[in-house]
Amino acid sequence: MTPTGPEASAKPAAVTREDWSVLMARGQDGDERSYRALLQSIAPYVRSLARRAGLSPEDCEDAVQDILMTIHTIRHTYDPARPFGPWLVGVSRNRLADRLRRRARIWSREVELTIEHETFVAVETNSFEKAEQARRLRSAVADLPAGQREAVELLKLKEMSLKEAAAVTGQSEVALKVAVHRAVKRLRTMLARDEG
Amino acid sequence: MADTDSLINALAGGVAPVRRLRPPMVRALAWIVLGIAVIVALTLWRGWRADIDLQVRDPAFWVQVLGAALTGMCATLAVFEISLPDRSRLWAALPVPALALWATGFAYGCLGHWIAIPAGAPIVLESTRCLTTIILATIPLGLALWLMLRRTRTLRPADSAWLGALAVAGFADTAHLLLHVVQASLLVLAINVIPVTLIVVAGGLGGGRRLKADFGR
Repeated sequence: MTPTGPEASAKPAAVTREDWSVLMARGQDGDERSYRALLQSIAPYVRSLARRAGLSPEDCEDAVQDILMTIHTIRHTYDPARPFGPWLVGVSRNRLADRLRRRARIWSREVELTIEHETFVAVETNSFEKAEQARRLRSAVADLPAGQREAVELLKLKEMSLKEAAAVTGQSEVALKVAVHRAVKRLRTMLARDEG
Repeated sequence: MADTDSLINALAGGVAPVRRLRPPMVRALAWIVLGIAVIVALTLWRGWRADIDLQVRDPAFWVQVLGAALTGMCATLAVFEISLPDRSRLWAALPVPALALWATGFAYGCLGHWIAIPAGAPIVLESTRCLTTIILATIPLGLALWLMLRRTRTLRPADSAWLGALAVAGFADTAHLLLHVVQASLLVLAINVIPVTLIVVAGGLGGGRRLKADFGR
């Protein structure tokens, strides 16, 4: 079967023999391999849509992940009798439009800080202490066990919700909560030891 | 990029089978059948309007009934289509001609053909019964539609909410026109569309969180 997606050339060679519609239909039936192949195959196309929408590279990757999660959440709404391309484009455009609207709202009332804004008259803002504290915290986070580190990075540093972090890691929300709790306790001990 | 790869692995790992949505036409038909059943049940319970013999001979009455019923049906089909991401937004225009017909009907009724209420008819009692009919038609139909749309987790919650309100209003007014002599089509529209409009506006101001929580992604 030949690919019928909107940008067939963006698909890796490994899946060009199969249609996105077929892969999605199998994914809806719980076929893990087909579903993974589909997501891997559509990610570059979704990325190109995000770039065309004018997102920065960092925003772009966030948008791709958001669209993939949306596809996963509403995959039951896809009808395999219809082409997959328009469905994918519909989901992507909606999520990108939401993101651009949100960004426009933020920009309308916030000003991005530039390097000039970072030096102030007050002494404490120019002290090296904060930079040193940040460095110690980063190093302490890096020393955490892998599971706890991942939980802290997703929930505290990237500010994901428990639900999103659970989708990324495959862990339950309870497990993530426990991991963050233990990580914070451990960080407190590590930082107190450093100071002492 | 590495994050995206791990996300793909997380999403694909142990992906659960899902029950696909039925085609929008089938789902719309199911809801329309429910709407007709509600109208039939209310008619059996309340009986036809007192002046039905006069009304069936009046073209303006039929224009209004046809307009309300067609608006309800077209809006139903439109809401099930538009709630899916791959369907055109132009579906939202489907109920417009029927809505114009409905509006023509009740404008005509208001301006030039004021309904002949039989002499001595208990107007206050009729108004109360009329309001309860509207509410009894609106609640089950609105609830059923909300439950059906909720499963779609639509990416267009505002459009879906407006069209859904129009669908419910069309069916509720069809029931009202067949059962009651009091002219209340505008009230039926207001009961259904004003709360939805308020929610949509509030949703717009609050980032659409309420609507998304109700039946959106």
